[in-house]
Parts: sequence; structure tokens; C-alpha cells
Amino acid sequence: MADPLLLSELALVLGLVAYALFGGADFGGGIWTALAFGPRAPEQRDALFNAIGPVWETNHVWLIFVVVTLFTAFPEGFADLFIVLMTPLVLALVGINFRGAAFAFRHFGRQSGREAPLSARVFEVASILTPFTLGMAVSATAAGRITLIDGQPVTGIGTWANPFTLMGGVVGLAICAYLAPAYMTVRVSGELQEDFRKEAMAAGLALGALTALTIPVAIYQAPRFALRLISSWPIIFVALAVAAGVATELLLWRRRFVSAQIGAAGTVVFTLAGFAAALNPDLLIGQLSLAAAAAPLPTLVAYLTVLPLGALILVPSLIYLYWTFRGEPDPEIPPAGSEP
Amino acid sequence: MDNLLAARALMGLSLAFHILYATIGIGLPLLLMIAEGLALKTGDDSWHVIARRWIRPAGVLFAIGAVSGTILSFELGLLWPEFMAFSGPLIGLAFSMEGFAFFTEAIFLALYIYGERRLSRRALFLCTIPLTVAAALSAVFVISANGWMNTPTGFRLVDGVVAEVRPLEAFANPAWLHEAVHGTLAAYVATGFAMSGFYAATLLRGQATPYTKKALTLCLAVATVFLPFMLISGDWAASFVARHQKAKFAAMEAHFQSSAGAPLVIGGWPDPETGTVAYAIKIPKLLSVLADKDPDFVVKGLNAFPAEDRPDPRLVHPFFDLMVGSFLLMSVASGWFWWLRWRQGEVTVERKPLFLLLLASPFGMIALESGWMVTEFGRQPWVVQGYLRTTQGVTPHGGIFLVFTTFLLVYLALTVGILRLLLYPGQKGGAGKGSEVHHG
Repeated sequence: MADPLLLSELALVLGLVAYALFGGADFGGGIWTALAFGPRAPEQRDALFNAIGPVWETNHVWLIFVVVTLFTAFPEGFADLFIVLMTPLVLALVGINFRGAAFAFRHFGRQSGREAPLSARVFEVASILTPFTLGMAVSATAAGRITLIDGQPVTGIGTWANPFTLMGGVVGLAICAYLAPAYMTVRVSGELQEDFRKEAMAAGLALGALTALTIPVAIYQAPRFALRLISSWPIIFVALAVAAGVATELLLWRRRFVSAQIGAAGTVVFTLAGFAAALNPDLLIGQLSLAAAAAPLPTLVAYLTVLPLGALILVPSLIYLYWTFRGEPDPEIPPAGSEP
Repeated sequence: MDNLLAARALMGLSLAFHILYATIGIGLPLLLMIAEGLALKTGDDSWHVIARRWIRPAGVLFAIGAVSGTILSFELGLLWPEFMAFSGPLIGLAFSMEGFAFFTEAIFLALYIYGERRLSRRALFLCTIPLTVAAALSAVFVISANGWMNTPTGFRLVDGVVAEVRPLEAFANPAWLHEAVHGTLAAYVATGFAMSGFYAATLLRGQATPYTKKALTLCLAVATVFLPFMLISGDWAASFVARHQKAKFAAMEAHFQSSAGAPLVIGGWPDPETGTVAYAIKIPKLLSVLADKDPDFVVKGLNAFPAEDRPDPRLVHPFFDLMVGSFLLMSVASGWFWWLRWRQGEVTVERKPLFLLLLASPFGMIALESGWMVTEFGRQPWVVQGYLRTTQGVTPHGGIFLVFTTFLLVYLALTVGILRLLLYPGQKGGAGKGSEVHHG
């Protein structure tokens, strides 16, 4: 019925969107831990920290899903991307590692009644480094600076560090910083809820301003991407993203937090969908099409067979996880007994 | 250090690091499941306390396992893009399935660790079942990728290009089954022994509480139950390698000259220049018997292969012997313990057997790492046996040494952090808080 290539592309985009919505919010938690200010800064930090605890490892698996989809379904593209984008990807990896470890160390340290300021700082810095570098790496595919000669990518700093990818990095940060407080408004109450509401609104304005600024930057720095984005059907996603973003601000203004949470997620989904739609039908804009990067048909079919089978186990488990840990985050992990 | 060597060193370092944490991630869920199951079945709550006391270190170790696994999935592309462009369509299926298993594992681990206040005791126990199954399956799936590198199937090579791809056949490659059984069960042995060592040390410090004795019994029982399976599956693996990966087999056994009635070489240092093994013990004809149950069977030596296709026995044979030796040490240590347990009717507090157990406790991990070295170094110079050489798989991007140094520092920092936490858990305040709210 449907084209396996198209379905594989959708799986890739789905993975990226899911990582942004779930993993991105966890990074956002780290960003707002660093940015927390005002009289309730410690409470804000604690609430973010406790909310991330049970879910961050699961949310992180979406990144592995993206990588595995990429090398299973688009092995040529995977190889080219990982050759060219080595530096930002290594930086992102370092960030992912230190962030995960710092979080776990801090949790463990707290449990044994010991604060770990070093772990806290590392967690914050890594929460900023990772989305920024990943944003750079993702947007580098659309910047048009990567060239293939005889099928081999030409490496160089300019391929991943240019005005367009810098915007990509900053937008990546803004997406994370936007989602975390928007999700938190649903989970806390009172003054803390008001704090997160203000943070979400501020981050929403920042995200709107930055994505708006990306369009003129793209016109000059990534013209092919800009042309595809604004002169064809992908513009629909731009319009939807703007509409969802504005609606979310209004919902936050009127304290309709449950709807606002969905609105914020929708804004991010449309933003990323617009990016993917404008990149389409390429994986490396102007150089490597998704069709050329794709694995042989039997691999795509096998992969697409595994996906629904996996989803059959994954989706109910995920729902059970988020349902169990809904509402006010627990102040700490449950008692583990003392050390033997 | 050239790019290729740096890439190999980094991949080896990353895998060696990840394997430690991944192993605990497979072994510990089984122990949690048994302990929680015993608590429910017997009504003896101390089993539950034992399990809950593991979750604090477990949380840290699982987290390190998850992030170090992410490093590996990225390194496949960062270091070996040409290998992945070649193999991705064939081993991708294994990684996709592993991804789902890992997802499930992460979800139910979080539910178990953080769910004490939100879930019933029965639900907590039930969470450990998918946790244990998913953890084991993630190993079984991902090992398929390694099996395929050893015995690549499910495609045809047409003018140097992979064609007629059959992903299911690649997934169920011939080496998969024995590697999966041997590798996954090894995780139970390694985890069980490592944790037994911790409790043996506690007993040696004179803290012979019923709690410690119970925990030691459980950990060592799990390790001991799976120990014989290591011998059985190991023999299965070796006889498979003897038939299908003859160069690796020759390197494992430091067997240089093809010969009938080949001796088994134990220990020693193989010298590829002279084709001899210094300081080794040789048992006549035993290698032929092990390879084909026939004392006159002709076992191919390394000289049967072109020089450029030979693995280096210096990197394979010692690790093979270390793996087998570890098995023997663990067998003696656990055998002595259970003998005394049977004779004395309870967990021994004698120093010698406990000290031997402590000594043997890291050897499950050592055996697992050595076995992995054997299969990897034994496949060289190939990354995909017979099709793609390691030199052909590496990235054209320069500066890998810098990346290697970066990750070396990352791993050092993580190791220092983990050791600080596990060795000095900072009792101040924590102990009181923990005992006060024992069961929530």
C-alpha cells in the first residue's frame, strides 16, 4: 500500500520529534536549573530535578532510535553525516555522558545525604551543550555547505559551523527551554506554577523570535532550504507552528495549563515538521536524496515490520510509565534502606 | 598513533567500558526479580529490603550503561562509517530490536526504582519480570550483530556492492545462537560473582548479619546455577569456531602448524615469528579431540592462512586462557563455599573460603571481557569476516587521536566519580534517613 521509503522517512522524523518532545524537555529542565532565579529558585530546581528522575533514561532512548533508524534505513546517509559532523556529534556525546552521569551521581549523592555542587554544575552545562550541538548537527543537513565528491563527503569546520547552524543550535536550545516549563505547569501548583508559567511564556516568545529570525538567515545562508520552506507546501507547517505558538501563549496567559502543554508540544512538532518538509526529498540538501541514501527494499520492509511489533510493547509501557509518575513529582526517590 | 589504531583503541575502550555496565544491567534485574518474588512468596520482607538496597548503586550503574551505550551507537558512525554503510542494511534489524528491548528495560527499571510510593508490592514485582526479560533480550539481539560480523550471511556481493539482501537470514546468522547464549548467561555469572564478592568482603570485616548471609546466598546461587552452562555453551561455541572460523580457532589455541593429533596448548606466549609457544603446557592430541572428537583429526594451523589474513595469536590465546582460567577459579571458589554451606548448614564465616570468594569475584567480569577480546581480536584483520577488512571500515575523517583522548578523559572522569560514590557512600545523614523510612 504505502511506499516503504516514505514510511521509513516518517519513522525517522517521528523519532526526531519524539526525542525533541521528551528528551528535549529533560534538557530544558537542565537549562532552567541553570537559569532559575527569584525567591523560589531552589524549589524550581528541585521540582525540575525530581520530575526528570524517573523518565530521562527512557526519553533518551529516542535518540538511539533516531541513530538506529538512520543506519538501518539510510546507511549511506548515516555514514556521510557521521563523517562530516564528527565534531558537533562528539561534543554532543560528551554532553550526553556528563549530563547522565552528573544526574545519576547527584541523585545518588542526595540519597546518601550529601549535596554535590560539582554534579549540579556539570548537569547544567551539559544540558546546554548537548541541545546546542545537536541542533547544529541537525541543521547542518539543510545548510547546503556539505558537499559530496565521488560519494565521499568533504570535511571542514564550515560544513557544520556557519550562521545557519548556529541559529539551528540556538533554536534547539529554545525548543528545550520552552517545553520543560510548559510541561511543569501541569505538574505543580501555587506560586511554583506561576513561575513556570512565566518561564514558559518567556521561552515561547524567545522561540518565536528565533525561528522568525532563522528565515532571513536561511535566505542568505541556506538559500536552497529557504526557497523550499517558503515558496512551497512546507510553508503550511510554518503557519501552523506560528498559530500553535500564539495559541499556547494565550492559553498560558489564561492559565489553561493542560491545553497549553499540548499547544507547546504542537508548536515544536510543527516547527520540526516544517524543517523536515523543507529538507525533503533530501537527507543532505542538494547532495544526497533520501532515496539514494536508503537501504535496499528488503531491509526497509524488515525494519517497518519490526516497528509496529515493537510499538505494541513500547506504547502501553510508555503510557504506564507516564501515568504512574504523573502529577506532583516525588521529593526524592523512595527509601532504599541504608547501606548494608 | 595513526587514525586506524586510534579508532580501534577508542572502539575497544568504549566497548570494554560499556560491557561492565551492560553486564550488570542484565544480571541485576534477575536478582531483583528473584528477591522480590521470594519476598512475596515467603512473606519474608527481608528479601524486599535486600532488593531495595541494590537500587541506589543500580541507578547509577544503569545510567552509565545507557549513556556509554549511546557513545557506542554514535561511534559506529563516527569511527566506522564505511563499515556501517556496508553492514547497516544487514545488522540494522538486530539493533532496531535491541532498541525496543532497551526501551522496555529503561521503562520498567524506572517504574521499579521510583515506583515504591506509587505502586503496590505486587506491581513492583511484576515490573521486574519485563525488566529481566527485556534486559536479556537486548543482549540476545545485539549479539546477533556481532555474530553476523563473524559469520556474515543474508546477502550476495556483486561487484563489491551488497545485493540480494535478506535481513532475517542475516539476523539469524550461524554464530548468533551460541554467542547469544554464551554471552547472555555470562552476564548472570559475572554479576552474581561481583556482588558475592561485596558480601564476602562484608563478612570478612566481621559483619556477619543474617542480611548479609542471605544476600550472599542469593547472589552466589544465581552465579553458581549458570556456571555449568558456561562450560556447556563455551564448548558449543568453541566447536562451532573450530568448524566455521578456523583462523580464529588456531589463534585461540596458539596452533601454528596444521597437524593431525594436535596438542592442546595451555598458557605460554605465542611467537608468530618462530611459530612456537614459549613456556606452554601441551597435552597431546587433546586439541584434535576437542575440535572433532577424533584424536587424529587434522586441525588447521595459522600457517594454513595467508599472512595478511591471520589474526595475531598474542592478542587471542592469552585472553582465551584467561577466560577458561577464570571459569576454573570461580568453580573452585563457589564449590568450596557450597560444600561448607552443606556441611555447616549455614553460610560459612571461615576466612579462607570467603577470601577465595572475594578473590574470585571480579573474574566473571574478567572472563566476559576476555571472551569478547577473543572473538574480536580473533576475527582480525576482518571487520566483516571474509568481506570487509578493518582498514576498509574506518572513517576518512582525520584527528581520531584527539577524539580518543577526549573519550579517554570522559571515561576516567566517570570512573573516578563512580568509585567515589560506591566506595565512600557518605553515611552522614543517609543511613538514618534510610532506616527510618524502611518500607515507605
